[in-house]
Amino acid sequence: GPRRPPARSPRAPKSLPGVERGPGCARGLGTALSPVLSGACSQGSRAEAEAMEKELLEDYRFGRQQLIEIWGHACAVAVTKAFPLPSLPRRQPTLLVACGPAQNGAIGLVCARHLRSFDYEPTIFYPKRSPDPLHRDFTTQCEKMDIPFLSYLPTEVQLINDAYNAVVDAVLGAEGTEGTAGTEPCAAILATLRLVRIPIVSLDVPSGWAAGPGGSGDISPDVLVSLAAPKEVARRFQGRRHFLAGRFVPEELQRKFGISPREYPGSDCVVAL
Amino acid sequence: MPGPRALLGLGLLVAAARAGGRCRERGWSWNRSWNRGWERGWERGRCLPRRAMHSPGTARHGPPGLRFLGQEEAQAIDQELFTEYGFSVEQLMELVGLICATAIAKAYPPSSFTTSQPAVLVVCGPGNNGGDGLVCARHLKMFGYQPTVYYPKRPSKPLFEGLTTQCKKMDIPFLPEFPAEAAFIDELYGLVVDAIFGFSFTGAVREPFGSILGTLERVTVPIASIDIPSGWDVEKGKADGLQPDMLISLTAPKKAAMHFTGRYHFLGGRFVPPALQEKYALNLPAYPGTDCVLQLT
Repeated sequence: GPRRPPARSPRAPKSLPGVERGPGCARGLGTALSPVLSGACSQGSRAEAEAMEKELLEDYRFGRQQLIEIWGHACAVAVTKAFPLPSLPRRQPTLLVACGPAQNGAIGLVCARHLRSFDYEPTIFYPKRSPDPLHRDFTTQCEKMDIPFLSYLPTEVQLINDAYNAVVDAVLGAEGTEGTAGTEPCAAILATLRLVRIPIVSLDVPSGWAAGPGGSGDISPDVLVSLAAPKEVARRFQGRRHFLAGRFVPEELQRKFGISPREYPGSDCVVAL
Repeated sequence: MPGPRALLGLGLLVAAARAGGRCRERGWSWNRSWNRGWERGWERGRCLPRRAMHSPGTARHGPPGLRFLGQEEAQAIDQELFTEYGFSVEQLMELVGLICATAIAKAYPPSSFTTSQPAVLVVCGPGNNGGDGLVCARHLKMFGYQPTVYYPKRPSKPLFEGLTTQCKKMDIPFLPEFPAEAAFIDELYGLVVDAIFGFSFTGAVREPFGSILGTLERVTVPIASIDIPSGWDVEKGKADGLQPDMLISLTAPKKAAMHFTGRYHFLGGRFVPPALQEKYALNLPAYPGTDCVLQLT
């Protein structure tokens, strides 16, 4: 028959002798680490983000594929919140996911797959594929989910405006520097993205923004999904919705990197800022 | 070759995109150009909606048509996810752990615990079900629970070592020994997560899990089992075995689930590609909104 937890006096769980605890259990004693300050320039913030990722991989022993899965899933959840299925203007819930050659692109692939499982109809543009076997696996997974891959992006921007409800920008993210933003095929994608009239959702950092101070040449995303913590360049964001996908960050790392704790609704992995 | 303008209107542009995929028999892929793929009349089969097929052998439980899998089928689907669909154990385990924690959060929200802390005991077995439990514990922590793990037999593989480290570094304690009596568990925890054995389980239960299951069979706090109540035959169940309050079936329920008499049966596994669902005629019901779990009962 149905069971319910028996009534008992409020008491914290006993700590049994010999219980293994990780080094993070210094909580309450205060860690000696001071939060790393966000640099005044985008490079400083990027160095912090890289340091956090390194710590997640090396100290916390997260797998890279695991992290990309977590991020891609969170980005997809954010897209569903920014563009709920019933709200889409087009008859079919189409989305264009533009993926760059590096990690941001891989996050885009995972995001596309989850969007497909959420009953959206993503189409991927992934012109320069990473040779990384991990990224190849992500590509296979998308193909096997019947997600089409475009062979080219039409330069006729109106076709994109008409075919898709929104574009997911997973091109450069935080990896974009002065150099990469200008190389093909990213330069061409960015040129097109600057002209589209449908909303853009940028993953982590709007592509091209990391290359330097904002200018009229920047893309203007409608939605930004910051991973772990907002990056310095996010201060320039003026779009409609800004989400933080940071629930996965262990509390100790949040403290160490000066990330203010947030309340996430229910079991959501993203929160609207 | 006509450019995009010559494509037959936007509807077809999108339809062509949807009809795309890889044609392994013919050995080429459609994405050389939109119109060429469309001209060759791409296989539409893969684009069937989720619940396209009717299937025999439906069960009383859950939505009509929902299939309950045998052990071999469950193993075959699992294998196919890795070999054909390119998923890794690491990836799916992360998704499964989130599924389990989400289901638990729906049925047993932290506010429902009568203790001041929503304490949960997660018992992890020696294989993948145990790994699922580790990921579940981490997500439970993020959801505001206070999980404690018991993990007596740990595979020396980077995946499991990594998951263990992630838990420890998030302040999740690991018990050095299992509580000797059911009464201790009842006193300390409001919920037990059974992540001992999954759908690959056959044969006799080896120690220490025999004793552990013996104790768990006597606890009165709710038990949530991941995929298969541990100790049960994956198809026939076990009348005198563990009686969990919640079952979280992964991908599709197994035949053992027909013997489940607890209050909550959840399904998770939205990540299963439509083509695979079709191939095995899983007849999965639609998941609500963007939830990764679906409550069957």
